[in-house]
Amino acid sequence: MGAAWTIARKDLKQRLRDRSAYIVGIVAPLGLALVFGFVLNPLSDFEFNATYAVADLDGGPVSRLFVDTVLANAEGIKVIEVASTDEAEALVDTEVSPLGGAGDTETADAAIIFPIGFSDDVQSERPVTIQVIGNQGSETNAGIAVALVEGYASELTSVRVAVATVENLVQEEVDRLAMGVEVLQTPNPVTLRDDTASTKQLDGVTFYAAGMAIFFLFFTVQSGITGILEERRTGTLARLLSSPITRSSVLAGKLLSSFVIGLVSMTVLFVATTYAVDADWGPPAGVALLILAAIVSALGLVSLLAGFARSAEQAAATGSMVGMVLGFLGGTFFDVSQAGGLLASLRFASPHGWFMQGLADLRSDDLGVVVAPVLAMVAFGVVTGAIGVARLRKGLRP
Amino acid sequence: MKPLSIARVNLVRFFRTRSAVFSVFLLPMLIVLLLGAMQGGASNPKLGYVSAGEDTFTLELFAILDGVDGFEVLEIEDEASAIRQVERGGLRAAVIVPAGFESTLRSGGDVEIGLVTRAEQEVQGIGDVVNAAITRQSILLRTARFATQKGAGTFDEALAVGEVAQETLPPVSVVATMAGEPFVLAGLGRFDIYAQGMLILFIFLTTLNGASHLIQARQLGVTRRMYSTPTPVRTMLAGEALSRFSIAIIQGGFIFIGTSLIFGVDWGSPIGATLTIIAFALVSTSGAMLLGALVSNDQQAGGISTALGLGLAALGGCMFPLAVLEMLSDTVYRVAHVTPHAWALEALQALVTEDAGVADIAGFLLILVGYAVVLGLLATWRLRKVLVR
Repeated sequence: MGAAWTIARKDLKQRLRDRSAYIVGIVAPLGLALVFGFVLNPLSDFEFNATYAVADLDGGPVSRLFVDTVLANAEGIKVIEVASTDEAEALVDTEVSPLGGAGDTETADAAIIFPIGFSDDVQSERPVTIQVIGNQGSETNAGIAVALVEGYASELTSVRVAVATVENLVQEEVDRLAMGVEVLQTPNPVTLRDDTASTKQLDGVTFYAAGMAIFFLFFTVQSGITGILEERRTGTLARLLSSPITRSSVLAGKLLSSFVIGLVSMTVLFVATTYAVDADWGPPAGVALLILAAIVSALGLVSLLAGFARSAEQAAATGSMVGMVLGFLGGTFFDVSQAGGLLASLRFASPHGWFMQGLADLRSDDLGVVVAPVLAMVAFGVVTGAIGVARLRKGLRP
Repeated sequence: MKPLSIARVNLVRFFRTRSAVFSVFLLPMLIVLLLGAMQGGASNPKLGYVSAGEDTFTLELFAILDGVDGFEVLEIEDEASAIRQVERGGLRAAVIVPAGFESTLRSGGDVEIGLVTRAEQEVQGIGDVVNAAITRQSILLRTARFATQKGAGTFDEALAVGEVAQETLPPVSVVATMAGEPFVLAGLGRFDIYAQGMLILFIFLTTLNGASHLIQARQLGVTRRMYSTPTPVRTMLAGEALSRFSIAIIQGGFIFIGTSLIFGVDWGSPIGATLTIIAFALVSTSGAMLLGALVSNDQQAGGISTALGLGLAALGGCMFPLAVLEMLSDTVYRVAHVTPHAWALEALQALVTEDAGVADIAGFLLILVGYAVVLGLLATWRLRKVLVR
């Protein structure tokens, strides 16, 4: 084992002097994480906000109740009150962003129009209609406006039905407006409970910080293992094997130096992105397990590729090819989990996918969730590594 | 023509490696396919629902949700998988109806319906939609409860009378129509937007990666050897630049033709798209020459070109469309336009969304040529010094 340490130490010293190790292991992934952080940070501040134009041509108690209470109490909704249908239409007949635009010109996601005589008509038994004009450019926000108005219309229908029912049962006329308000105050037997807190997801900034780290890990660990091929080419390997050093020690030394480089790179990225861009990787113990398992999987894969490569260049070329494909499939650049179906399942063929899923699951703060991803990555590493190391050992002949 | 023979040799050597063929032809197509598949054709957010029992009230509620515009509604088997799909992005939100929905309500009890959304901020909007559906459904239940409270009759009596009232009374109705222009990207097919982004990303990435060839040629003394023959530096430079440029054009042309044939991507005017590819290939070539001049270690160049290729693409709108960046933040949008990528994308986008012709995108093309000239001059100035050293 002593010889392995010596070889690893020598390799590491060499790598420390080589600037490309820092570039691939730290600068590139960190730089990309910062870029993604810069681009996506506004997204994490994104909140639901919509602008609705209201033309209240009625001005009676029933339409005011909607504007002054329902809309005014809804979070993230800005109301522009206008005097005519034309003005309301003009506000929605524009181009806006579907995320609830903050443009320079005044636009609305939807216009809501209460006709003249609306409040009186609601209290009578005449048919009444509220008009909503949605902006095509913001289909979702317009849909929400329609839903809000339909919700209110249902409330009003509910009031009408309830008042008529009571009048029918007691066989006398009642003060419809007063009773209507009472109906509205009767709690709905069915209510909505927000269960969102129970979900586990990575925010955009963390997603890319971790994604870039694992993506480049498969490039970072290449140098140590493919170093065997390089030493074979330059003849230093033959020299090494003529000394009383076992083949296993040479292999162990190379694997060890790759492992250390991978560990340093991942640790630096974990700490740096946590402080630089506020990435939130999760509880350190769980993250550490995932990182260690990821390094094992990367070492295994790189050994496999090196075992079948003729030269260090070829190993590097196939390495980056396989690294790219697994990285994309594993969803380090784009959240393929959103794809659903085959693609979403396919990511579990890649250690990258398990790593990202493990981090997402860690949101629950329950360390048990990392067991499956860790086992999957280690299994990937052991299987590929066993084949790779066997091949490399064979090639280790003076 | 010496530059041509230098380029020819370089090209033959380049395409002889399997990894080059992979990264030039296969990888970009694979990623366009992947991203297009992720879009899944539907741009409307998906709303899932889970029910423990299939009673009338539950089915009625789902039918109401199904009728809401702007959302795609689908049934999910169980709560755990619904939550998982929301977490993993398959669903924007999930509505969870408890078992015994109808029987609890009939016996006068209250029912809570669960709502799981992707992020806290979105609860409001989707909550409104679900709430409206619930309100619509519970008209009769509320009537019955209210009438009972008023002492007007029993629950069942009120329910029966209420049902008649609901059938005879005209409802307060809502008429919804649409106006305005659809969102810029709404007219694009599911592969279109990513095909543009990946075309630009890969032309730049592949070309920049080629900088290491230039460095290797310097390291191995190929350039010095050439210099000892009657080959002036400008011929060598022209040959190297031509190699980078040809690979860029081959890749660009392949993605352009391949995506339109395989994925039916609409590129607008073919001449406009071709000119944009040529202009951007020039920028990439100049960039690669400059990188090859500034860095003297091919492994470092590999790392730097990957980081620059992906980073500038992310900044420049190849991964997140410019129109989306513009909505998110003004600063991000402005920074995007520091990259040549953004200008190339502006040109490509104008060709499709505005049916622009060559004359309309001439301004964008000029900016790209400007980038190419400035980077190219810097590279030549620097390379003249280092190439024969």
